[in-house]
Parts: sequence; structure tokens; C-alpha cells
Amino acid sequence: MTKFIIRRFIGLFPTLFVIITMSFFIVRIAPGGPFDREKRLPPEILRNIEKKYHLDEPLLKQYGRYLLDILRGDLGPSFAYPDHDVNFFIFNSLPKSMILGSIALGIAVVIGVGVGMISSVRQNTWVDYTAMSFAVIGITVPLFVVGPVLMFFFALKLDWLPTSGWITGQHGWVTIIMPVITLSFPYFAYNARLSRASILEVLRSDYVRTARAKGLREIVIMFKHVLKGALLPVVSYLGPAFAGIITGSVVVERIFRVPGLGQFFVQAAFNRDYTLLMGTVIVYSVILIIMNFFVDIIYGFLDPRISYS
Amino acid sequence: MDTAIKESKDTYLSELNQPIKGVSLWKDAWRRLKKNKMAMFGLVVVIIYAILSITAPILPIYSYKYQVIEHQYLPPSLTKKAGELMIEREETLLLAMAEKMGRNELNDQEREKLSELKARTATETRKISGKVVKVHDRRYILGTDSLGRDLLARIIYGGQVSIAIGVIGTITSVFIGIIIGALAGYLGGRVDYIITRIIDVMYGLPYMMLVIILMALFGRNILNLFFALAIVSWLTVARVVRGQIISLKNSEFVEAARSIGSSTGRIVFRHLVPNTLGVIVVFSTLSIPSFIMLESFLSFLGLGVQAPFASWGSLVSDGVEGMNLYPWRLFFPAIVMVVFLFAMNFLGDGLRDALDPKSKNKL
Amino acid sequence: MQTMNNDLVLQVTDLRTYFNTDDGVVKAVDGVSFALRTGETLGLVGESGCGKSVSCLSVMKLIPSPPGRIMSGQALLRGKNIFDLSADRIRQIRGGKISMIFQDPMTSLNPFLRISTQMIETIQLHQGTDKMQAKDKAIDMLRLVGIPNPGKRVDDYPHQFSGGMRQRVMIGMALSCNPEVLIADEPSTALDVTIQAQILEIIKNLSVEFGTAVILITHDLGVVAGMCDNICVMYAGRIVEKAKVDDLYQDPKHPYTQGLIKSVPRLDKPGKQRLYSIEGQPPNLIDLPDVCTFYPRCEYAMDICRQKYPPEFVTDGRAVRCWLYKEEK
Repeated sequence: MTKFIIRRFIGLFPTLFVIITMSFFIVRIAPGGPFDREKRLPPEILRNIEKKYHLDEPLLKQYGRYLLDILRGDLGPSFAYPDHDVNFFIFNSLPKSMILGSIALGIAVVIGVGVGMISSVRQNTWVDYTAMSFAVIGITVPLFVVGPVLMFFFALKLDWLPTSGWITGQHGWVTIIMPVITLSFPYFAYNARLSRASILEVLRSDYVRTARAKGLREIVIMFKHVLKGALLPVVSYLGPAFAGIITGSVVVERIFRVPGLGQFFVQAAFNRDYTLLMGTVIVYSVILIIMNFFVDIIYGFLDPRISYS
Repeated sequence: MDTAIKESKDTYLSELNQPIKGVSLWKDAWRRLKKNKMAMFGLVVVIIYAILSITAPILPIYSYKYQVIEHQYLPPSLTKKAGELMIEREETLLLAMAEKMGRNELNDQEREKLSELKARTATETRKISGKVVKVHDRRYILGTDSLGRDLLARIIYGGQVSIAIGVIGTITSVFIGIIIGALAGYLGGRVDYIITRIIDVMYGLPYMMLVIILMALFGRNILNLFFALAIVSWLTVARVVRGQIISLKNSEFVEAARSIGSSTGRIVFRHLVPNTLGVIVVFSTLSIPSFIMLESFLSFLGLGVQAPFASWGSLVSDGVEGMNLYPWRLFFPAIVMVVFLFAMNFLGDGLRDALDPKSKNKL
Repeated sequence: MQTMNNDLVLQVTDLRTYFNTDDGVVKAVDGVSFALRTGETLGLVGESGCGKSVSCLSVMKLIPSPPGRIMSGQALLRGKNIFDLSADRIRQIRGGKISMIFQDPMTSLNPFLRISTQMIETIQLHQGTDKMQAKDKAIDMLRLVGIPNPGKRVDDYPHQFSGGMRQRVMIGMALSCNPEVLIADEPSTALDVTIQAQILEIIKNLSVEFGTAVILITHDLGVVAGMCDNICVMYAGRIVEKAKVDDLYQDPKHPYTQGLIKSVPRLDKPGKQRLYSIEGQPPNLIDLPDVCTFYPRCEYAMDICRQKYPPEFVTDGRAVRCWLYKEEK
């Protein structure tokens, strides 16, 4: 088991490494940034920049410096707002995005699997059809349609929920109901379909047939024999689901005006603030990588074939 | 029953007079697909959309980019002309202002303003695409946007852009994916190892963010959009193709073919490729809506298609602002896009069931 | 050796199990009757798809019910009709009075649970013991089926066993509650030839030791010769011949049985002979006409064979469904 964990841990680094290296180069070749040779800047400023970024040193040394900085957690100054560090923006807005994302993921998994289970047990009844139709809607309709539509009905027409803001604002936790629902909807839908299909498949397997032939009750079979195996695909999906939620948060934060990292990211794209852009990517990548690592470990716990070989 | 059997070339009888139909993979798949009502519905819808997109330039619709500022924010109407709507709006506005001043009737000054407007809208003409047109006689079936452009036309042209991006993006990524996947799968060894490592690392990268960054780097035009989307999306195809080729490479029917002396080329083309095609076809039908969603996502944020072009995503984005007052700007493009996405998804699911009936209860 | 008790343990009468498919109704089992006595080993022989597995699954009421349905028939377990019982009572019978083991040991055990868990749950369910006792019983059974170091191995996962070992575990699990009947559905088919013999040996020895009646389902006539007392030969959903094993091999009556026996490659014949195989294919089970379903492949086919399916003709304790034996009735 420990070997398994260590192996997985080591596998994390290549991707991170690639991202950091990409980040290094993108920041330097980007047009419109302070490194743009074509931009005519007064010599004073040029000299400052050269000093700050150590451009006089050989490329490899610059790269080393960059790596060290990153390891220390220093993501550099923002291009668009040179007085502020990238860290300033990120650490102010990241917690909000994380709260939004985690709650959304939680809902997607718990309610998604629950619905999937009920659907599979009541296969081909109206419960099943309703749930799966709902799921199809979740998977097909894009986030940026669901969000505004929800906002239109529940905020503007019915005035039940606020249109924007954050928990700390005047409406408290109610504020994030719509953003969270919008964000989790496609992933809840996918999980519902995934778990339903997976449970149905396991119900048809040979070892469930053996369990029935031994005279076990259906409930016992479901919870003792079926769930463990059937949930494996759901666990595998956690990683991509969270990645998707991070991506989706960019749009959801924009629609509901949540001051999270996603909003800053898009703004940075317009401002061509490459350090902020790459800094965000690095932070999110680290989070995703850690998340994937834990998912792998959980998977290993559930499937003895992996950890006991 | 007997004549039906005789007519079908592929049917013959067993010794017990039981009819047995012999079919190829594609005919069998088509037969199964036809039985699937949702998939057929999807197919019909997709075909309708395709026809509308292709014939857009010759359809009797207004220009998608010609602006009539006075016509901005007109609500959809099947019967009322633009002029009538403008007059109604002006009248409502004047009455509201009069109420504020304590009157509930229009005074002479205001009434004259109204008549002037009526007169003008009856006769004013503009030159559009070389033809002289009575512009206020236009009927905007789906309403207009913030610059007085016809929403119906913009939705149809937006559809052109969105669908084109979906199709071209899919074709590009499938093409790249097949080549790389086939190479990795068939050659195996070192080549396979390197390619798989690259795919694994790239898979871990936050896809969307990279696309956004690429757009920021190289500018926001359609070409860069294609480029950015294609670069990052061939991964899945490559993985799938590689997987298929590897499993088929070692399967028994390939051994069987080899044992009766088939050459490598024959094996690859007559056996491996047709077996992969099914998976690729299904993937493509599901990848087109995926691309459309990606592009819409970017356009929604303002990083995709730029004015005066439209795509469904950018139209929805435009529609979100002011959706309280002018909801049609949001709902019509949204509905049109969602219907298309649904149709493609049903078609894709149906194709998958038709080509591999064992996958009926899977995702 | 135990005295043969001539009590009827299981009596199946006129069982019919049909499946509703997109292409029509598949009559997988169409009028099957057989009897099983205490301590007896009955061989159920036939090609793939002839209905032998479905017959036994029907007795256990393990047929998935949307496509499949037991249309008619009785299955009397010591005189009581299983098909009349409530769902709860049937569950008690499964694993308790009638146990079944399946063909593929690689997939028949739950890969996510330990062997001990899977064996203990059966024992506790049918014998009501506590966990410690159940575990001891499990270890005993593992020892009986020849698993080395059973005290330690019982806590392992299925994938840590080889195919043959897993099948032994299955046998141990199936016999742990001392059932009256063991149904073994092609228990050795998926295994290596050398392991096959071992598994069959275990089944035989344990059935003698516990007095369990066995139904052995197989397509392999060689397997049947060493193991069984009586044989039923099945073809296209019906039993076409029933006989004691020696009688069957010395004097096969049904042309299909004759063909099967001729097909077994023999070491004692002069070399360089073509292997014999029965010409033709088994029929499609949908829309079968009421003729003798074997006639297209039968070298003795007569006119009447093309008109009606032959009833059962019984002589000297042997039964055969073939028009050739009409007069003998």
C-alpha cells in the first residue's frame, strides 16, 4: 500500500514541472508585456525591469531563480498592476472560489450518486425516466445558459434569491444558492448517469449472480456487494469533475458577480496580465494535482486489486 | 411472409424454414438506429440546422450586420412592423413622461411629435445591400438587439459560425488524434511510451485556462480560436484510437487473419480501421457539441468570436445584459443552441447504441 | 460408502422458460423433466445454448425476470414445489438447500471483498452461527477443498488466488451449509486440463462424503463418463435422451447422442482418421416449428420427423424422444 502511495506521489511532478516551465516561457515571449522588445519604453523603466527580472543573467539562471521563487510561494508581481503581487489577488479571491467549488462538488457527488442509485433500482419506471431526462438537460445545456435562466426566474421575476454578491454581503449564505446550483448541475447530472449505469452493470455481473444464488437479500447485495465496485467510476470522475468545476467557476463568477479567482482570471486575460494568468494556472494546477492524488489513493483503498498487487 | 423473405437478398432459410438475415455492420447499425425515435428526431433536427446554415446567404432574411439604431431593442412580433413598434414605444414613453407631470393625456406638442414619427416611418427608405428598402416596414420575428440588428438573422449566421467551429474543430482533432493514436498503438514500444507520457501530462493541464491564455497571447480572432481548440482536444481521440488499435492488434480475429496469410496492410485497413471507425463516428457526433460549447464558453466571456460576427455563445452573452427588460435577446439564441445540442447528443447516443448494442445501459 | 437413499430430492416436471427479445420469443427450455435422487450425480449434457444452464437457473428462480419467464412446470424439492414458495422461502433454499457454482471462477467471486467475508455471510445466513464459528467453518471448508494454509488464506482477496484455487473456494462456499443439491454449471470448462480433473475429483469426493446430490452441467462427454450415475442429453431446449451412464455409452439411442459419442476423439482407434463432427448447426430457438428439431442433421430422418416433435418413449428405465423407437413403446 505504501509503495502505491509513493508511486502516485512521484507521478505528480512531471505535469507541475511542465506547467511551471510553460509559465516561465509564456511570460517572457508574450506580446504586450514588459518583455516585449517592440514596445518603446523610456530607458529608466527598461533598466528597472531588467533589474527586477534579472534579464541580464543567463536564461538558465533566470529559470533557476524562477523555480526558487515558485517554491517559496512567490508568484511575482502583476503585469497590469505592478504595485501588487500576484499573490495578493490570488489569496484574496481563491478562498471564495474554493468554497463555491467544494460545495458544488459535494452536491454533485452526494446527490448525483443518490439519484443514480434510485434510478437504477427503479429502472425503466417513471422515476427513472424523469431523473434521466433531468440529467440529460444538465449535461447538454451549457452553464452560461443555466445560470442566466435561473437568475431570470428566481431573482428577477420571483425575487426569491439575490442576483449577485457573496456570503459576507447582506443576504448571507442564500447568496450562493444559485451559483452553486448552476456550477454543480452538469456534474451532478453526469454522476447520476454514471452511477446508474455503473450500478446496473454490476447488478448484471457474475459475482452478483453468485450472491443471489447464495440466497442473500437484495438490499444486502446492493450495499455490501454492489456499491463498492459500482462507485469506482464515480471516484475516478472526481478529478475531472473538479477540474470542470474550476473551469465553470470562471463563467459562474462572472454571471453572478462573485469576487472569486475566476473573475480575476478573465480580467487578466483581457489585460494581458501574464503573471497573474500563469500564477492562477499554477495555483489551480497544484490544487488539481493534489486532488487527483487523493482520488487515486481513495481508489486504491476501494479496489484491493490495485493496492494488493 | 414468404415474399418478404424472397425479396431480401440477404435472407435465406435454415433447414427448419426459419428466416435468417445476414447483415453488414453498418446496415445493422442503421436498422437499429432507425428504431430509436429520439435519435431519429435528433438526426432530422441536425439536418434542418445544417440546411439552414448552408443556405443562409440565399434565405429571405435580413442582413445580420446592418444596423438600424432606431430599431434597437424591438420585441419580437409576427404581425407588427418595425415602424408600428417604434410608434407604440414612443407613445408609451410620452405617456409615462406626461403622467410624471400630472397629466394622463398627451398635449399637442407631444401629439405632433407622434404624427411626425408616423409620417416618417411610413415613407423612409434606406439602401441595404444595394437595394432601396422601406426600412420601417420590416418585421422582426425574433426582435432586435442593442444595435437594431435582426435577431433571427444573427441567430442563423451565428449558427453558421458555431456549427462550422464544431465541425471543423472535430475534423481537425479527429485527424490529428487518429494519426498520433494509430502510430502509438500500432508501433508500440518507445514511440508509444513517449506519446503516452505526453498525453498523460497534457491531460493534467487545465485545458480551458490554457485556451484562454492562448487567446490572450495571440489575439482574439477566429483562426486562433480554431488553433487553440484543436491543439488541446486531439488528446481524447488519440487515447481512444490507441486503445482500440492495441486491443484489436492482439485480438483473435487479427491472429486468424494473420494465420491465413493476410499482409499487414490488409490487416490494418480491412480489419483494424473499420473496427475503430465506429468508435470514431460516435466520438465525433459527441465532440461537435463539445466544441460548440467550448467556443460558446469563450465567446460568452468575450474571448471568442468578435463583432460584427456572432456565434450562439456571443449572442447569449449579449443577451444576459439587459435580460430583465429584453428577455428575447437571451432566450431565443439560448433555445436555438440548446435544441441543436440536444439533437446532436441524442444522435450521438443513438449511434453509440446502434453500433454497439452491448453499451445500451452504459453511458 | 454411504447407502444410497432412493428418496427423490428434486423432481422437475415439464419446465418451460421463455425469453422475450426484440427478435421474438426464445423458448430456451421447452418441456424439460428430470429427477434427482439423494447422493446421485446427474449429468446434463448438450451443446452451448441448448438450455441446460437455463433449466437449472429456473429451478433456483434465478432467471432475470424482464426478459425471462418461467411459463409452466414444477420443481419439487422433497415434495414441495419451489415455484409456489414465497420470495423469502426461496432465498432460504438458495445456498442452504440447493447450491450452485458457475463456470468462470475469475468473475464469480466479488473482487472487492475478502474470501472470509464472502464465505462467512453464507454460513451466518443459513446456519445462524456467530462470526467466529462461521470463520472456523470457512477455514474447515477451505481445508477440505485442498487450499493450503487455509487459516491465513481465508483473509485474502480473490485476485490473490489462481483460477483453480478460486473454483475450489467456490465449491467450499457452496457446500459450507450442507445443501441437499449441488448444481455445478460447467465447473471445469474455464480451467486448464490438469486442474479440470482435480476440480471434478473434489466435487465427486465431497458429494460422497456429504451425501449431496449433484447436477453436473457440461458439454464434455469425457467429463460425464467419470463422474455421473445418470445422464440427460439436451438439444434445442428439450431433453432427448435419459439413461444410466453405462447404458448411454454402450448403446446410445438418440441419433444426436450417437453423434456426440462419435465425436469424442479416441486414442484406441487406428491413427490418421478424420475427426467426426455432426453436420449442420443447432437451430435458432425463435419460432421453432413443431417438428423434430434435430431432423436436418439426422441421418435417419423420416417423414414423420418433419411433421411432429416425437414424444418420450420409455423402455427399461431409459427414455428417448425419437420416432425411431415408436414401436418399442
